[in-house]
Amino acid sequence: MLSFKNTKCECGHQNPVGTVLCESCGNPLEEAEATSHAPLEMRYDGAARRSQKVNPSVIDRVWNFFSSVKIAVWLIVITLIGAMIGTVFTQESAFISFDPSTYYEERYGWVGEWYYKLGFSHTYESWWFTLLLVMIGTSLVICSLDRVLPLYKALSKQQVRKHEQFLRRQRTVYEGELAQEAESWTARAEEELKRKRYRVKREGSALLAEKNRFSRWGPYINHIGLIVFLIAVLLRSMPGWSMDNYMAIREGETLQIPETDYYIKNEKFTIDYYTDEELPEGLKGTARPKLFKTDAVLYTCAADCEDPTKEPVLQEVMRHGIIVNEALSYKGLNIYQYGYDDTAKIAAVNPVLVNKQTGETYGPFKLSMRSPELNYELGPYTLELNSKYLDFAIDEAGNPRTKSDEPNAPAFIFMLKGPGLAEKGEPYIYFVKQNDRVTFSQDKINGELAERFEIKVPSMEGVTFAGMSSTLNIRIDKAMPYIWVGAGIWIFGVFLGSYWHHRRIWLRVDNGRLLLGAHTNKNFHGMRGDVAAVLKRTGIDVEPKSLDNGGNRS
Amino acid sequence: MNALLNFSSDVFLVAFFLYCLGFISYGVTIAGARLTKRDPEKHIRKWGRISYAISLLGLVSHATSFITRWIGGGHIPTSNMYEFMSFFAMMIMLAFVVTYAIYRKHLIGLFTLPLTVIIVAYAMVFPQEVQPLIPALQSPWLKIHVTTVALGEAFLAVGFAVALLQLLRIVDFREKGPRARRSQRWVEVLMVIAVIMVGYLISVFGFRAAGYEATFLQENVHISDAGVESTETDTVAYKLPPIFKPYNSQVQEMDSFLGLKDGVFETPHWMKGVDAARKWNTIVWSIIIGLILYAIIRIIIRKPIGAVIHPLTRGMDPDDLDEISYRIIAIGYPIFTLGGLIFAMIWAYLAWSRFWGWDPKEVWALITWLYYTAYLHLRLSRGWHGEKSAWLAVIGFIVVMFTLVGVNLVLVGLHSYAGVE
Repeated sequence: MLSFKNTKCECGHQNPVGTVLCESCGNPLEEAEATSHAPLEMRYDGAARRSQKVNPSVIDRVWNFFSSVKIAVWLIVITLIGAMIGTVFTQESAFISFDPSTYYEERYGWVGEWYYKLGFSHTYESWWFTLLLVMIGTSLVICSLDRVLPLYKALSKQQVRKHEQFLRRQRTVYEGELAQEAESWTARAEEELKRKRYRVKREGSALLAEKNRFSRWGPYINHIGLIVFLIAVLLRSMPGWSMDNYMAIREGETLQIPETDYYIKNEKFTIDYYTDEELPEGLKGTARPKLFKTDAVLYTCAADCEDPTKEPVLQEVMRHGIIVNEALSYKGLNIYQYGYDDTAKIAAVNPVLVNKQTGETYGPFKLSMRSPELNYELGPYTLELNSKYLDFAIDEAGNPRTKSDEPNAPAFIFMLKGPGLAEKGEPYIYFVKQNDRVTFSQDKINGELAERFEIKVPSMEGVTFAGMSSTLNIRIDKAMPYIWVGAGIWIFGVFLGSYWHHRRIWLRVDNGRLLLGAHTNKNFHGMRGDVAAVLKRTGIDVEPKSLDNGGNRS
Repeated sequence: MNALLNFSSDVFLVAFFLYCLGFISYGVTIAGARLTKRDPEKHIRKWGRISYAISLLGLVSHATSFITRWIGGGHIPTSNMYEFMSFFAMMIMLAFVVTYAIYRKHLIGLFTLPLTVIIVAYAMVFPQEVQPLIPALQSPWLKIHVTTVALGEAFLAVGFAVALLQLLRIVDFREKGPRARRSQRWVEVLMVIAVIMVGYLISVFGFRAAGYEATFLQENVHISDAGVESTETDTVAYKLPPIFKPYNSQVQEMDSFLGLKDGVFETPHWMKGVDAARKWNTIVWSIIIGLILYAIIRIIIRKPIGAVIHPLTRGMDPDDLDEISYRIIAIGYPIFTLGGLIFAMIWAYLAWSRFWGWDPKEVWALITWLYYTAYLHLRLSRGWHGEKSAWLAVIGFIVVMFTLVGVNLVLVGLHSYAGVE
């Protein structure tokens, strides 16, 4: 049992429970280590960690659970598998409007049905995926704390003269008779090591050379970066921290950006396609877009902002040609080019009212889709606008509704008043497009009235079309700076830990015998190279590979 | 095509043949040492040098082809599948040169060059024309993100090649016993997969050279948002004889092949991806040709392929291979993290307004990263070395290739490229 173990080393140092190698001289303490001849377990320099406490409490148990690298790897593997499953079928978030409860089954059969039922159709928003990320975050914090503190302590108070056992059981070892005088040889070795940019501490004929200790902090730095990153990701879900809106805006229009006091104007939308001369053989005749661009002007409201009866007074703050890779950015507000709609949309028509019985026509009058007048005086008749539906449809209850604000299937209901009509007027539905008139059977809806009156457009003259509409993505993401800082720290730590290696060489000369042990956290090939080079320059010729004491790993 | 682009394609072919030659030369280096009557050390030194020089020459030609295509095409050639795969192969060669410079082991060449050859040949499957950039790709990040990802993954690929070498080194085909047999079987499975890759290339290029064509009229039922059913007839063109024809389709025109007048089977209806039937048919062809090829090889050599390669690898210390494979992966991992996640997030933020959107390609980059993160943790903290670690490195490369190729072929998303066989 750990609790009864004597943790006092033969050098006299009292070590904490869980210590593998004596903090002072490096002599192996644990029985299994002490009796073996295999290379030492040098992780965290054999220091005791908090997770190795005796008689753990509940908190200790939680700590121990999350401090385990085994658990961390399991968490990574489960997250990996979860992420994989999420890519089997397209996620719900990729669609704008559809019914997921039937879509997956219709498209993918019973597999799709279960995919949806088990919640994999929104894997990345699911509670369990979020939980996994939170657990990984917790593991990152605890694993790091559990190891970095003892490691820091161990590395900041290193002894120069280590136990012979400690040296002999490193993974890179040299042992041999020294032909030269001990002190002077050691001094010479010190010089050579310094030339290789080692920091050297020497005590007589014992020496410790160390290089790139900072690289040991690489893993902990990258973990801190990941934690900052993950916290920033969680912050994004706080109210007010992020906004994600889409708005379709036609050429010439100025609209208020939802949830903000900003207004944006689409001065001009440009779409260019590559010409056939610019396209290679295989793509000729295809519409390959070259440029989408919205020339936008951003305004703030200077006065009359809240008054619905007055037009707000706008003040220009910025102009920018928004293209796919260049958003408009103003004080944390980003406006991206997202898409466009180039289908022709009617802006206004000039219809006339026909009295079918007399054959007389009245008008024309200008009927604007977006802002129609409420009353039209046509000779003896009056048209009172009752309601309008820009994208006409019939809902389940059989009532008319509009599917969108786009004039895809515009319909107007007028109250027709005048001679030969009821006092309070008679309702007349007018579909602007000929095909809608057929689809929704306008004449049937209007019934008997359709036999007496008709509203129609006599010619295409006066029909105007709206400019193309550009779809912009409006974003506010206050967490972005933290995301980038987290990502920066993370990648900095990864590079630090990967491309620099902490190398240490201990040596001692006793009675004309040199004993050298070297350790690195990574890249033993390079470590042996360093040792062999230094030995060679001090008169000892060895093959780098012969320094390998087995256990050649990591 | 202008003259510079023609020159670029020519030099690209030169690079391809140099890589093939380099592979053969490495074969001579390693296998020849066992056959030569003279000093094997001398033989290896001489042929190793020749092989490395050929490989370098191949890389130089490849780089020349890359640069001339960049100048001739007006943008960095990493914007479609042909260009990316070609660039990836070039990065693998660069990673090999770096690895060789550190460790000086010829055997790594024997395993990396065939990988490069297969990837270059795979690149040639795709349309090679320079395609002008769509707005989303018009960004300096096309240069930064794509190249860094390719370089990182190239190191992971060389790590894989060394791990494969390591497996062939440590799995002794003379040993009997359940454990040894299991290892032998799995190593041989890897060999079969490699032969199937070759089978894929043979079937695609073989039928392409023969000019084979077949077209089908496929009836597709579309259900619109409003729930209205409509039937559309699409034309599906095949370049390989249809073992599997599209679901619910009729032959329109078909070159005769072994008296075949119609597809033998119909692709199951649930395969619904883009061009699913044609891709499935290609896969079936690759497996058939690959297995025939494998059978021929087995008849000639009369033992598992692994058993033939194993003796060639005896010159290497298994521990060294273990270390090299790990080191190369550890070099690739930070580069991949930088290119595949950090730069990817920056570009996604600039172009698509969000740094992360769970697009399949993004998710698979994350999966690749998580996988290698687990690999490093298992190795550094849990002591997974030797055979276990080598298998992890091999499977890791399968994950990398799925992220690079599989996602584009099987899954849909924002990273789509045109023209897939």
